[in-house]
Amino acid sequence: MSRNLHEADIDIGLTRRGFLKGCAIAAAALGLSDAMIPRLAEAAASAQRPPVVWLHFQECTGCTEALLRASHPDIGRLILSLISLDYHETVMAAAGKQAEDALEGTVKRYEGKFVCVVEGGIPTKDGGVYCKIGGRTAMDILKGVAPKAGAIIAIGTCATFGGIQAAMPNPTGAVGVRDLIHDRPIINISGCPPNPISFLGTVLNYLTFKRLPPTDQLGRPLFAYGRKIHDQCERRAHFDDGRYVERFGDEGHMNGYCLYKVGCKGPETFSNCPAVRFNDVEVWPVLAGHGCVGCTEPGFWDTMTPFYERLPGVKLPVGKGIVQGADSAGKKILAITAAAIGIHAAVGAGKKMAKKKDGRKTGQKTEETR
Amino acid sequence: MDYEIKKAWGVLLRLFHWVYAITIIVLLVTGYYIYRPWFGLYQGGASFSMALSRYIHFVAGYAFMGAIVVRIYLFFFGNRQERFLDSVPVTPRNIKNLFGTVIYYLYITDRHEERLGHNALFMLFYIITLFLALVQTLTGLYMLFPENLSLQSMGLSLFGTQQEARLIHHFIMWYFIIFTMTHVYITIWNDIEMPEGLISSIFNGKKFKTKKA
Ligand code: SF4
Repeated sequence: MSRNLHEADIDIGLTRRGFLKGCAIAAAALGLSDAMIPRLAEAAASAQRPPVVWLHFQECTGCTEALLRASHPDIGRLILSLISLDYHETVMAAAGKQAEDALEGTVKRYEGKFVCVVEGGIPTKDGGVYCKIGGRTAMDILKGVAPKAGAIIAIGTCATFGGIQAAMPNPTGAVGVRDLIHDRPIINISGCPPNPISFLGTVLNYLTFKRLPPTDQLGRPLFAYGRKIHDQCERRAHFDDGRYVERFGDEGHMNGYCLYKVGCKGPETFSNCPAVRFNDVEVWPVLAGHGCVGCTEPGFWDTMTPFYERLPGVKLPVGKGIVQGADSAGKKILAITAAAIGIHAAVGAGKKMAKKKDGRKTGQKTEETR
Repeated sequence: MDYEIKKAWGVLLRLFHWVYAITIIVLLVTGYYIYRPWFGLYQGGASFSMALSRYIHFVAGYAFMGAIVVRIYLFFFGNRQERFLDSVPVTPRNIKNLFGTVIYYLYITDRHEERLGHNALFMLFYIITLFLALVQTLTGLYMLFPENLSLQSMGLSLFGTQQEARLIHHFIMWYFIIFTMTHVYITIWNDIEMPEGLISSIFNGKKFKTKKA
């Protein structure tokens, strides 16, 4: 399959039916009415396939895997037939010098027109030596390619916000594309991995309307990241009604109650997972009985852990030691305050008593000191 | 010894105080429930407990915001005791009062400056509380309207992600618990130590002061 990818007119096995179905799914994800499906299909069928350069940096290739191995192959195929994938390390046939030439050729030939897709974080510490391809650092490659692209799509949380390798203490100084490139439009398709439909929707939007979709303040397209998971979740009725899973495997868990108390991060995570779901088999984490871990948010590895608690397990310096957890600190301060109040009141009472004894001897002294 | 009745607090300030006090209690209870729902109901009990807690929390939040606005208004247009410069420790007179109050509270001395309005130590915490109340409303609004893009840019630049804002919101909850407790204690202590009628003054606005001969 990979051999055929950059040869424009070879059929990669997408049927008309599959094609239309893919367009319909994308239209639904984009929030367009079904009257728009023919327009999308038309644009998808006749569009000049934009040349795409797909850069891999610090990552696990999970985003590519999620895209290519959709159990229902139409989405992956549709994407691959919509774009002309000129450089993609995982699926390209070329290797070594040939591959580097393909990259260089595309960048030169389509300057200002090609789409640069970035997958993976970019290490910046120590001159960026922690990720090298063909002898060049990731930073160097990105700085060579990205400024010449017409648009940049950062796919996956690593490319958007640094991802897992950017977790504290971030030994390689990994950052997302938006931290390095500022003068090109960047669309952030975050997630670990993101839903292929969010990527497809962005590309189709670009082909149909000739512009990138509107985004939120973190550069994520609103059609996919405009709403919180919690506000679209099928367990929300249980949440509102106060029915929670207390422990994994308990009665509430078996009844499908809300996972809020076992650390579901749906209330602070923006994504379309509950609406679009994964792999065309209608699943997503909460449906499978596990809380959301908040993978589409910046710094999720630091702010969303522990995954089975409501709030981050912050270390607070209180007194001599380090107290683990915000609440134990709060309770300790509360206890100290209560103790302080008690001591203060006791001292006050003691003093009063002492004064009263004095007062009996020396007359109205207490009144006068006031 | 002779006492006279003096007007200390205007009606708006007393109203502010009680709205602030009641909303803080309501916000603490409902907020803690939202954070860790300590009672839940199994299928069949249509209690709507979380939705209701959230609803009350949001309504109380708006009242709380209103109270903050009133207090800030009074800093500029209130009566003498309610104004900013009367007791905030920025003037030499108030800074002196601040330290005087601290040693008075620590039982080091019995002498202290008698004032009709607030003492400077109280006002210091009052200002901190007001500032944290503002942070509380901003993080609250950020979480309440996740789809609003201008609130999103405000939240991202001031607090970070929703989760970080939630953590800040939670920490400040602890401040409010401790503040409430300390405030009630200090008020009762003052009421016992001094015959000015501090507690009743927040209901009727009047204090008893020694008559100057
Ligand atoms: S399972 Fe998670 S996302 Fe769903 S309602 Fe509960 S807390 Fe919200």
